[in-house]
Amino acid sequence: MNGSRWTMIVLIAVVTLFLVSWAIKSFPSSGDTISWPSIRHAFFVTLAAFVTLAIFSFLYKDNPYYKFAEHLFVGVSAAYWMCVGFWSTFVGNLIPRISPGLSKFFGVPYKEFTFYYFVPLILGILLLMRLSSKAGWLSRWALAFIVGTTAGLNLIRYLRSDFISQVSNTFVPLLVQWKGTGAFFSDFSLASGGQFTLMLTNWVIFIGTFCGLIYFFFSKEHKGVFGAASRVGIWVLMITFGASFGYTVMGRVSLLVGRLTFLFDDWLGLMN
Amino acid sequence: MKRQFLLLLLLCFAVAAPLATAQTAEDSPLSGEAAVAVSPAPGPVSNIQLKDTDNDHGHSVTLSWEISPDDGAGLNNVIGYEIHRALSPEGPFVKRAGVPAGSHSHVDVGSKEESSPDYMKDYIDYYYKIRTITADSAVNAESTVAGPIQSYGQWFNTGRVPVLIFVACFLALTLYFINRAKGGADLYVRPLAGIGAVDEAIGRATEMGKPILYVLGLGTAADIATIASYTILGRVAKKVAEYQTGLIVPCYDPIVMTVAQETVKASYADAGRPDSYKEDMVYFVTQSQFAYVAAVNGTMLRDLPATNIYMGKFYAESLILAETGALAGSIQIAGTDEIAQIPFFVVACDYTLIGEELYAASAYLGREPLLLGSLKAQDYAKAGVILIALVGFILLNFGVDGFKEFFFVSN
Amino acid sequence: MNNLGLIISFLVIGAGLLWFLLRALQGKEVERRIIFVFIGLAVSVPILFSITFAEKASPIVKAVYDKIENLPDGSRVLISYDYGPSMAPEVEPMSNAFLRHSLAKGHKVYLMGLWATGQSIAATAIDSVVRREFPEKVYGVDFVNLGYKAGNQGVLNVIITDIRKMYLTDVGGIDLDSLPIMDGIKSLRNMNLLMSVGGGFPGIKEWIQFAGDPGHIPVAGGSAAVSAPLLYPYYPTQLLGLLGGIKGAAEYEAELKRHYPQFADTPQPGIKMMGPQTLAHLVIMAFIIIGNISFFVARRRRG
Repeated sequence: MNGSRWTMIVLIAVVTLFLVSWAIKSFPSSGDTISWPSIRHAFFVTLAAFVTLAIFSFLYKDNPYYKFAEHLFVGVSAAYWMCVGFWSTFVGNLIPRISPGLSKFFGVPYKEFTFYYFVPLILGILLLMRLSSKAGWLSRWALAFIVGTTAGLNLIRYLRSDFISQVSNTFVPLLVQWKGTGAFFSDFSLASGGQFTLMLTNWVIFIGTFCGLIYFFFSKEHKGVFGAASRVGIWVLMITFGASFGYTVMGRVSLLVGRLTFLFDDWLGLMN
Repeated sequence: MKRQFLLLLLLCFAVAAPLATAQTAEDSPLSGEAAVAVSPAPGPVSNIQLKDTDNDHGHSVTLSWEISPDDGAGLNNVIGYEIHRALSPEGPFVKRAGVPAGSHSHVDVGSKEESSPDYMKDYIDYYYKIRTITADSAVNAESTVAGPIQSYGQWFNTGRVPVLIFVACFLALTLYFINRAKGGADLYVRPLAGIGAVDEAIGRATEMGKPILYVLGLGTAADIATIASYTILGRVAKKVAEYQTGLIVPCYDPIVMTVAQETVKASYADAGRPDSYKEDMVYFVTQSQFAYVAAVNGTMLRDLPATNIYMGKFYAESLILAETGALAGSIQIAGTDEIAQIPFFVVACDYTLIGEELYAASAYLGREPLLLGSLKAQDYAKAGVILIALVGFILLNFGVDGFKEFFFVSN
Repeated sequence: MNNLGLIISFLVIGAGLLWFLLRALQGKEVERRIIFVFIGLAVSVPILFSITFAEKASPIVKAVYDKIENLPDGSRVLISYDYGPSMAPEVEPMSNAFLRHSLAKGHKVYLMGLWATGQSIAATAIDSVVRREFPEKVYGVDFVNLGYKAGNQGVLNVIITDIRKMYLTDVGGIDLDSLPIMDGIKSLRNMNLLMSVGGGFPGIKEWIQFAGDPGHIPVAGGSAAVSAPLLYPYYPTQLLGLLGGIKGAAEYEAELKRHYPQFADTPQPGIKMMGPQTLAHLVIMAFIIIGNISFFVARRRRG
């Protein structure tokens, strides 16, 4: 049997399976009569289950079902963002400031005419000029505006939140709630709010930041004490990456649990 | 004169109020219920201080006061305070805000839009009084009227001085080092192990007779990571041209592709082999993230390149790419400034340039004044940070807290 | 039923791991698809048998709980839905728990989103949490959905000084000035607590940089596990607390359940997900060990 026949057989089997699933799900479990909302609900649940399984099928190997689901996802999300952007920003923010007629047409309360709202409108139109091969260069004006303002905005905020505040956050006491060596050992505890943990946290913050910065210092060769600190720095970085990787595993498993719960509960009804 | 009169009034009230309440209690022994219903009024707030709110664009006044003696003590019946404002000491006073019991201050912010009903004009006199309220709406105490006060804006926000200082220092450093680099000064950048790895990998590819795959990532042509990646691509292409090894550069962004083509072409010319350069070494794939990944993965599994180099901006596709490359048995070298993706490259690649190392590698190889100057400026900024951190840390551990306050940015 | 589930899970996992270990010792490789099936099983079985574990809030989670708990009744709490459906299984339990807790405490809740998808997720939360569990709460008085505005961190930069510059209406087109909940709200500075739930850009980091820090407004967050480690440097000075991944959500749900008996029967997806999580993590840890054994066995044979 050749490949295309196999493809047809699989396609028919898949379509039949999901049609049957749709039909079964359309019937309410307790004696209620079949209704339009239940048919619609069943259709969406079945479609969602199909798309989920189509994406999962990539784990076996790349196939047309996966490609279909992926393109559907990309297309739908792009269109969704565009529609929401249009209604929330264009209709929600711009129209009420430039035209009472259009505000009435779109059903939003008209505020007052504000001439400077034409500036973003013109920049927006310039951005769309990208679609034209001749006037494409005009979009650079709008892009330059976006890049410039974002860079300016980010520079100050980053400097403040990620630089100045973070630098001052490294000023930490090495001895927390210190009442002497005797008390430290007699009250020793590994609890997350305990003295030892708090002190360890501060030591790690200080040494980690210090050595991490030295690792990223490129103007001096990493030899001697400097080299040792840099090695500690890379160790700290690697531990951070390990933690990050562990967290990612947790995140991915959560997403898998979410999808499986949908399949088992919403679609197949296997759970209570 | 007015103030003295008000003070006298307040004094009379302060003396009369306890007498009055005492009298009420004595006057009504008839019904226990009635005695409970008329709860005594709390003491008013005192010492109201008004000032224009600092470091703002105007249209705002800051109030502070000493809480009522019955707030959390005494009669303990205060549930909050109401801030009232008027344009003259006689009123009419309008309620501006309510704050919970225990509050010592409030910032009365109005709108700067003249059309707004909440508009608060600058440079006119405002008067305030604070009403101490209890659970019983009929029982409250009013403070004396405070004022006048005018609101106005400031040209400079002194609260942001630390930011200004840091921006100025960093800009000065950057300009200084870029100038020096342009002037041909020999600025030292330590050799990076990753660069050596690139050279080795090219050698290995030559030995095996297999091509090198170079991925520029998903960044646009303007991303610094992509710009850094061009320099490294230039170096790789030059070596590849010298050794006569194959080079494959699939691109995600059409503009990135154009620049990459120019870079590779120039490198082949530099190596003295312009004839070996072929247009289809650098090609455009697609601008859909996962479709791009699928295409690159296909190339990895079909052409089995000896070395895969990933330099630039990467997102969720990083692990998929690196894992497929590892599966195909290629040597892999990666570099990205996307911190979230570095762990994936670290686990799946033989060598990873972490964050800034990517820029450093590019500056080291290209000696481009702009990159080199910025890198040096960053290095000195880092040295500054280390120094500040050390000083702050030592001072704090010796009980001096004041240094930390300098880093406080007020708004 | 629960015990049976646990026994079956451990049997499946134990037998499978043993098989993998034997293959590793023989120096044979394992087809990756078998590993996928195995992970799928390790996750499915606990879901089907509803295996759960006891959770206790860690300080970073407890800090968020305590903040909502200790705010005076009627405080203004903003919850920003900065995620899409692809992140929802992981972070939706957090936003729902925040919403539940804030409403139960009698706070006024403002919902919004820096992600377009956040707008409809907030609407879903109103239907599934507020309307069902708090039928007495009135839209526009106790809670409001402001919706999404394009502009990422730029939106925050504007609404930190004036909300009405960006938001003229709520998500349904109702004039904000006609909603009692918006009385006295000029900017984000009038909020008592800002909470962002998400895990990408824009997200909690942008809330800290563009709202929390400049306005000195407390920021708390719930983050997808992937980006949680990158947010730890802000805790506790710039970020008062954080729910990192589903573990954070489960801890929060457990804390909520302990103090609010009325939530004993509400869905607790966070706690439910920790069963499969725990087993999947055990399996992955075992895989790491087996993988290393296999690596060293292979090296010895080659060497």
